[in-house]
Amino acid sequence: MTTREDLEPLLMELPHQEALRPEGGDVSFETAWEIRAFALAVAAHQSGQYDWSQFQQALIDSIQRWEQSGSGTPWRYYDRWLEALESLMTEAGVVATGEVDDRTRTVLDTPRDTGHHRAHHEPVAVDPARS
Amino acid sequence: MTTAETSPSPTASGVRTEEETAARVKALEAMLIEKGVMSTDAIDRLAEIYENEVGPHLGARVTARAWSDPAFKERLLANATQACAELGVGGLQGEDMVVVEDTDTVHNVIVCTLCSCYPWPVLGLPPNWYKAPAYRSRMVRQPRAMLREDFGYEVPDSTEVRVWDSSSELRYWVLPQRPAGTEGMSEEELAELVTRDSLIGVGSVLHPGGQRP
Repeated sequence: MTTREDLEPLLMELPHQEALRPEGGDVSFETAWEIRAFALAVAAHQSGQYDWSQFQQALIDSIQRWEQSGSGTPWRYYDRWLEALESLMTEAGVVATGEVDDRTRTVLDTPRDTGHHRAHHEPVAVDPARS
Repeated sequence: MTTAETSPSPTASGVRTEEETAARVKALEAMLIEKGVMSTDAIDRLAEIYENEVGPHLGARVTARAWSDPAFKERLLANATQACAELGVGGLQGEDMVVVEDTDTVHNVIVCTLCSCYPWPVLGLPPNWYKAPAYRSRMVRQPRAMLREDFGYEVPDSTEVRVWDSSSELRYWVLPQRPAGTEGMSEEELAELVTRDSLIGVGSVLHPGGQRP
């Protein structure tokens, strides 16, 4: 069972520690997908898809591409993280970019919570006071 | 929100919306699992290590502010999404939050009857039991009994229990009552008393000295 302590040596090797640990100490996340993307990269490493140093390098490369692009894309660490993971998986032939694009469209086209988009403005149940 | 029409390409190298990025991560995850690279369990276990790094400390901070600052509390109850944004706490676009206030006569509890809609910007990711069918169905049918039997949380008979169903458009969370004996405590100290369960409505806040009532 992987623990926080097991992951720490891996995390120490990554670039931009200040983005990884905005508060200083532990890594933290702003959104649920960031944690998911984080876990995917570690899981792929643990299952032997790549050495961690390869992920480290892919992340450095992705950050460099962002820096050189000078585009209006805002800086977000986990955007670079996701790109790094995708590039490794594509190079290894595990997935093709077009496939990920298609699947992403499918996800976007599927309502997250089918039938559950309507806001409920009243309590769904009330158990009145008994005394 | 209609994403298909408004987002020309989830693949464009330009700026992706938060929703597009989240969808892309989800898509990649599904593909890697299907191709046997990893299991859902392996991903879940890794994600769990850091789940608490998102919320519920943010919810605790917002609650402590509401306890300390009546004007803020008023704004929070009127428009939780905006009030949380004042403190830099926010979530995805289009996801409105509503805070329901516990009083001497009303106790609130949140549920998502269909799936696992949850105010994660303030509470972090939902605990597993929140997503379980047992919680989703029984909390609506027998809230008082379930609170007592499954969570050891006794709601006095004189208190009404209201159950709020979160959807993807509107997510509820509970503003618990400020515990007695906390006069003169700082916001930081108050935030330490706020538990995740108290913000869901299935548990109480801590009392000064770390004791539950």
